[in-house]
Formats: sequence, structure tokens, C-alpha cells
Amino acid sequence: MNIKINNKKIECEEGKTILQVCKDNGINIPTLCYQENLEPEARCRLCIVETKDGKLITSCSSYPKEGMEIKTNSEKVKRARKVNAELLMPEHMDKCFRENKNHDLCRLIHELGIREVRFDPKKKYKVDLGASVIRDDNLCINCGRCVAVCDKIQSTWAIDFAQRAHHEHVTPYSEKNLNDVACIKCGQCIAACPVGAISEREHLQEVLKVLKDKKKHVVVQTAPSIRASLGEEFDLPPGTLVTGKMVAALRRCGFDKVFDTNFGADLTIMEEGSELLKRIKENKGFPMITTCCPAWIKFMEHFYHDLIKNKNMSSCKSPHEMLGSLIKTYYAKKANIPKEDIIVVSIMPCTAKKFESTRPELKSGVDYVLTTRETARLIEHFNIDFKNLSDEDFDPVLGMSTGAAAIFGATGGVMEAALRTAYELATGKELKSVDFKETRGLDGIKTGKVDLDGKKIRFAVANGLKNARELLKEKDKFDFIEIMACPGGCISGGGQPLPYEKEKIKKRIEAIYEEDKRLPLRKSHENPMIKQIYEEFLGKPLSKKSEKLLHTRYFKRSPF
Amino acid sequence: MQILRKPLQRAYRKAIKLGSKATIDLIKKKGLSGRGGANFPTGSKWEMVSKEKDSEKYLICNADEGEPGTFKDKFIIEKNPEALIEGILIAAYAIKAKKAFIYLRGEYDYLESKLKKAITKIKNRTGSETPIEIVIGAGAYICGDETAILESIEGKRGQARTKPPFPTVRGLYSKPTVINNVETLANVPLAMLYDDWNKNLRLYSLSGNVTRPGVYELPLGTPLCDLIKLGRPKNPIKAVFFGCFGGCIPHCDIPLHPDAICGKECMLGSCTIIAVDEKQSIVDLVTNIAKFYEFESCGKCTPCREGTYRILNILENISMKNADMKDLDTLKELAEVIKETSFCGLGQTSTNHLLNALKYFRSEFEERVKEKKTRKRTAR
Ligand code: SF4
Ligand code: SF4
Ligand code: SF4
Ligand code: FES
Repeated sequence: MNIKINNKKIECEEGKTILQVCKDNGINIPTLCYQENLEPEARCRLCIVETKDGKLITSCSSYPKEGMEIKTNSEKVKRARKVNAELLMPEHMDKCFRENKNHDLCRLIHELGIREVRFDPKKKYKVDLGASVIRDDNLCINCGRCVAVCDKIQSTWAIDFAQRAHHEHVTPYSEKNLNDVACIKCGQCIAACPVGAISEREHLQEVLKVLKDKKKHVVVQTAPSIRASLGEEFDLPPGTLVTGKMVAALRRCGFDKVFDTNFGADLTIMEEGSELLKRIKENKGFPMITTCCPAWIKFMEHFYHDLIKNKNMSSCKSPHEMLGSLIKTYYAKKANIPKEDIIVVSIMPCTAKKFESTRPELKSGVDYVLTTRETARLIEHFNIDFKNLSDEDFDPVLGMSTGAAAIFGATGGVMEAALRTAYELATGKELKSVDFKETRGLDGIKTGKVDLDGKKIRFAVANGLKNARELLKEKDKFDFIEIMACPGGCISGGGQPLPYEKEKIKKRIEAIYEEDKRLPLRKSHENPMIKQIYEEFLGKPLSKKSEKLLHTRYFKRSPF
Repeated sequence: MQILRKPLQRAYRKAIKLGSKATIDLIKKKGLSGRGGANFPTGSKWEMVSKEKDSEKYLICNADEGEPGTFKDKFIIEKNPEALIEGILIAAYAIKAKKAFIYLRGEYDYLESKLKKAITKIKNRTGSETPIEIVIGAGAYICGDETAILESIEGKRGQARTKPPFPTVRGLYSKPTVINNVETLANVPLAMLYDDWNKNLRLYSLSGNVTRPGVYELPLGTPLCDLIKLGRPKNPIKAVFFGCFGGCIPHCDIPLHPDAICGKECMLGSCTIIAVDEKQSIVDLVTNIAKFYEFESCGKCTPCREGTYRILNILENISMKNADMKDLDTLKELAEVIKETSFCGLGQTSTNHLLNALKYFRSEFEERVKEKKTRKRTAR
């Protein structure tokens, strides 16, 4: 098909929107409500372009027709964009004190050259202070991206629009708070929001306070996916591994010990792998489902009560909770510090882990959870020149890990790591190729088979909870299932650097698999420190002590 | 009145005899077109849906008459519900609809029993098996929009859908759907039956500063003055509003025909005429209409949601003599952008009245604005 954009002839494929065609041809069109992979809702009316007959149409929801002539930057277009952007500004401007480069709207206002907003803010709206996620309606511009993500990607339906005209606003049903409805705290709505109206519940101030407290011994642990994303906050290219710099920076912030959640991940594999083998031996409890993702767990507790009843869920705590327990028991004893004086801070890509750390049944070893973004703010707070730090290593014992743990951050990683260990534990043979390619990639649902000494294990991996719902419809066809709430896994978790772009996420995932390849040991059970901790402290996987410290239970919650 | 003739199920029997295709052809030949405002040929709409491969199809009768000053559908439902129901059954038969819906305006719920009676009566007499369900709206103006009706019947929030796909391809429950307005469907049996059926007759809803408001049946192209005369106004008429969305013009000798009205940047729409005499202030009227839109915007898109609110604000300031000339420019710019960029018809037409008022009656606005300055001066 041939069309003209800004008087230039352009050939385009059928089925692409005008917006996509423009993008392919290097023409930038501002958007606020459009999201890749989701159907356009065409709410914001900023992506408008002008047709030959002087009509303005939204490029995100219109398709080119043969012979069409489009102007993307005419005076008419510019004026309409300006007015629409200006109409969105009053409330946002009132609350967003500084122009924030992460806010699409703030950037747009600059691009469009708006210096003055003619309208006053309407009124003050509610601020919903959730356990993980905060919604500030004053900043919201009703673009609907969070609603679309919660509905179409996570199928959780925690939020929707209510009322009409300028009273329309996003809210959980009947104006409840996020804490009181079935919101799984995944934070994907944060990632979707173009103006920062949704954000994490900060623990930063609390952490700064304990760092100042001389009496406290403050220990920090970092999740597998942080090292592949933290660099972005300091303008390093996506996919840069910053493990060494991160450790160095955290030491400079004043943490007494820097441990690695990857150690917890290796431990998770030992426990979970053994659990799988036990189920195979007893031939019951299939499919077994992973429990590393607290958002998935909360989702299951709201919507899939039969998985609790039928004991499909693994009983393993998530890796950072396992490590938290060990820090407050094993490490406390070894270092001879009273447990009460130890503060554990987890650095996570995830907002759901903030909620998780408040679960009473966990008697959580973790006191505070910081997201990747908060961590960058922490480092900035101490005026550390992150880019130029030289690499440092994690502190010993609880800082040692394998390649299997490194890949936890990507969808399919837990499955692959578990299969590496389960295979060797079950067969007693060495696994020749440790790469399980079927588990990798960004497909919503991935499946495969592996032979564990006579027992064929059919495994499946889902990321994004809409996909999980699909997979669970056919759960009886599988023996072992991994579910991660965030599309792509923790690497695109609700606490990761903004804004989210697919290309960035692919780079982060590549970095993680690079790390796996680079490490000398790539199977969790080969980690010498894991061996040591079982010998010295835990006994063996699924021992009484392990059960007490590393495993947990689940509760039914209301689906509303 | 032509619209009050009683077809007595003869048209339905004729349709059955003709079969679906010939019925559609007949409607096309008679030149029946949509009375909701768009004037789309009814037969062609039916044909599009009847050609869709899907086995499930729906018919919706749009009885969500929410336009202020419009009451012709109510008139038909009250006076000739039998013709309407017969029209629905014929349309359903022609497009092979699985089910028909009547989407009744919330404020008209008292007409439900009347409709129900007519449904039972006509179905008994014709032996038609097509189920007809009456869905009562919850009172949102937006639900007069075709695609918002679909959302509403499906139990979702009343908001317009992105087009394409058009309802004729993917309508109710994603199935091909015909949506016709009450006046259109009531005309179906009449058009089929009577050789002297006049395709140009329209029902005009006349109201405002006239002593004889009501529904008048007149042909398209009737001079506006003639209609106003029929209404017997007490004072000279200054302006005419074509409902809320159709815009306004100074009272003049213009034929009531879409093309002529369009030339004045107005829309005849569903033939709603609100007469305004010299005693009224255009600014107050326009503010009133702006209030209506500020309340009825569905909230989906930026210009309509935020813009209608800002427009009302400025207009109220002008009414309160608390604005300056710059505000009139803002008003115009806002009105134009809302018209150009809103998602659906509601927003796109919500400022017609204002833009025309600013064009034809700008002096009235300026006077109010100036009053502020004089007042200030005396205060000093
Ligand atoms: S945190 Fe997740 S579940 Fe909760 S509102 Fe946001 S997207 Fe929905
Ligand atoms: S909270 Fe953010 S993503 Fe959700 S509608 Fe408001 S601006 Fe859009
Ligand atoms: S996938 Fe990872 S980041 Fe996302 S909610 Fe689960 S644990 Fe948190
Ligand atoms: S991006 Fe197209 S309308 Fe918002």
C-alpha cells in the first residue's frame, strides 16, 4: 500500500496502524494511552494526525488506506495536541513539583512548548496508601493504561473506572482501597502509568533511619534481576551487568553486610527440587507449582482455592524470605549478634515482596524491601558516583551462588534451575547440557518434557497472570509448573527502572543468561556453601529445621 | 399523520411472502433512510448484516431518546406501538436476527408495559418466534450512541467503542448487529404497505418559546418560518437551536433540510427545533447546554471529559460577569479542539451550539464581559 506522510511517499504493510507505520519510518508521534501489545483505547487524543480533508484522526487506532495523505505536524495538529495536553495538566502539575523525566506528560509538555497552563486544578482527590502500591489520583490523567494492564495482562480486575464526565476516576470497586480488594500487588500498573500516579510504597525513609542507628546491624540482600537493571538508573545501557558496582555502592551506603539473594535461590532449588522428587516417589501432588513469586501466590489465594486444597503449591518460601530466615538464625548465631539487632533489607524488582514481608505466617526475616528504583535513590542520597565505582564481591557464605540462581530473574529461570538439580539428584547422572531452551523466551506459555530416571516430567512455564489462567485450565496435562506474575518474569517487575520497553527487557534477559554462562558452577546443588549450610545447620532438604525455617502455608482470600 | 396509520400485520405477512432478500430490496426501493440523524439508507444497512456469514445476528431498536427537546419517539411509542413492533419483527426477519432488543430510555420506563402489551399482541397475531427483549437504560445520554448501547446491553459501562469494526460487522456480543431508531422501524411496515407512503415526511419536535409545542409531521425542506408559525410564538423568535448537539442559528428563512442546515454549520439531526425569543439570553442558554454536556460526557477521552468541564467553567464566569476577552478566545479554541478530536459523536457535537453562538451572537458574550469592567470602575 502506498501512502504519503508529510508529503513523503511511504510504502506500508496492511494491518499496521498509522502510528506503527510512522514509528517504522522514524516519525515520532506523542502517545499517552497507547500500549504495545494491547488494543488501542484511543482515550488521550494526543496521537492525532491530519488527513487530506482536514480531519483529525487518532493514529493509534486508525489504519492507512491506499492513497491516504497524512500530516503529523500541521498547525491544526499542533494546536489540538497542545490543548489536549494542557487539559490534562492542571491536577498533575499541582502535585508533580518538579518536571519528571519519567513522566510522559511532563516530557510532552516540554516538547510541545507549553509554558503556561490556563486552568486551575479541580479539587483534591484521594491518595490510596496500599501496603505495596500507592495510587495518587491527583496525578492521574485517566489514560486507562493501568486498568488495561490489570484487566488484560494480569486478569486481576482490581481497578477500573468509576463515574463519568470529569468525575471519572480509577478506583477499586465501590471506592475501596487497594488493600481491601483482590489486588495482587504486582505493580504492573506502576510500570504502565505514564505520569507516576501509581508508585511503590516506599521503605526508603525507614531504611535511611536504621542505617543511621549505630546499634543496628543492617544486612542487605539483592535479587537476581537487580544486577541487570540497576545500571539503567545511572544511564548505563540496558543489559549492563553491574553486580560489582552494586555491591560496592551498597557498602558505601553503610550496610554492614551485602549478601546475595541468589544464595537463597540456590537454597530454594534444593528444597523445591527435593519436594518434586518426594512427590514423584509418593506419586501424588501433581502438578507441583512454584511459589517464588508473591504476586502469583496472592493471586492463587484469591482465585484458585483448589490449588491450596489439593496441595499443588510447593511449600517453599520465596528466595529472599529463605535467606532472611537464615540471616536471623544461622548468621546471627555465627556472627554472634542478637537477632533483634539485625535488620534485613531486601533489594527487589518487585512490589509484591513488600506486601509479602508483612505476612504474619511468614514471621518474616525481612524487615524492609526496596525496589530497584528506590535503591537508585538511596545511592543518589549518599552522593555515590555509581558509574565509576570499582567492582567488589558479596560477603562470604551467604553471598556465594551459581548460574542456576542467576536466571531466576527471567521467566522460565526457576524451572530451568530446578530441572538442572532435579535431574542430577534423581538420576545420579551428570547433566551434559545444562541449557533447557524450552523454558526460555518471552512467550506467554512455554512447555516441554524431561526424563527423570523413568518418570517423564511434563513441565510448563507461564508469565503474566492472564497466561497463567489459560495454563491452569489445562493443569492436569503437566507435572511441574512455574508461574511468574510479571510478563517476562521479575526482570520486568513492578519495581524496575521506568519506562518499560520491550527491547530493554530483552537486553536485561540476555544479560542474565550471560551471567549464568560466565559462572563456573551452574547447578544449585554444586554450590559449596549450600552444601556447608546443610552440613552445619539445616541437616538435609525438607528436614524438620528446613520445614520450620524455609517453608510456609497459604490461606484462602476473597476473590473480590 | 402518516406515522399513525395502522399496518395491522399486513406488512409482516407481505415480508414473509416476499422472503428476506426481496423485503430488503423493497425497503431499498422505497428509499427509507435512518431517522436517528445520519440518514443512512436502511435497506443497505440490513443488506450488510444479512450478508455477514455469522449465524448469530441481532437487531436493536434504539429508543434511547435522550436529546433535550426531542420527544418524537415517545410520541410513536405512545400512539402507534403496533407499527413499531411490526417493523421490528420485519427487520429481524429480513436480517435473520436471533433476537431483537428495544433499548428504552431510562426516563421512559413507564412506557415499558405499553410496549410489552404491543409485543404480545403483535407476536400472537403474526406468530413470529423472534424474542424481543426490552432493556431499560440507566439514564446516560451517551447510550444514545450506537456502540455505547452495545456496551450497555452487554452489561458494561456505557462508553463508545472504537470504530471500525462497525456494529454491522462486530456488534452486540461481537456479532453482526443492526441498530435502527424508533421512527425508522415504525416506518418500515408503512413503507412496505402503502404506495402513497412519502419518504420525505419527518417528525419535528418543536419546543421552546412557542405556545403550541409538540410533534409536527412535515416534509423535509419545509421552511423554518412555517414551522415556527405553527408553534404560534408570543414574541418574535431570535434564534433556533437544533437540539443540544445540532448548533444554533439566528431565526431566518431557511428550508429544514440537512444540506441547507449543514451550510450553516448546524445539523438537523433528529429534527429537533427549540425556538428562542428575544427575551432570552443566548449566554444563559449556552451555559445551560454546556452544563448538560459537562454532566453527560462519558469520561473516556481527554477533550470531552476535561474540555466540557473547562467550557462550563468559563461560561459560568462569563455569566457571573467575571471573565475577560481573553477567555472568549480560550472558549473558542477549546470548543474547536473538542469538536476536532473527541472520541465519539457526543464530544464532537458538544460544542456546535457554542461555536455558532460565538459566531452569530458574539455581542451578547462581549456585553457580559464588558459589564465586569464597568462594574469594577464604579467600585473604584
Ligand atoms: S498491583 Fe497488579 S493487581 Fe494490583 S492494581 Fe496494579 S496491576 Fe492490578
Ligand atoms: S493511574 Fe496512571 S496509568 Fe492509571 S489511568 Fe491514571 S495516569 Fe493512567
Ligand atoms: S514476577 Fe517477580 S517481580 Fe513480578 S511479582 Fe512475581 S516475584 Fe515480583
Ligand atoms: S495514544 Fe492514541 S489516543 Fe492516546
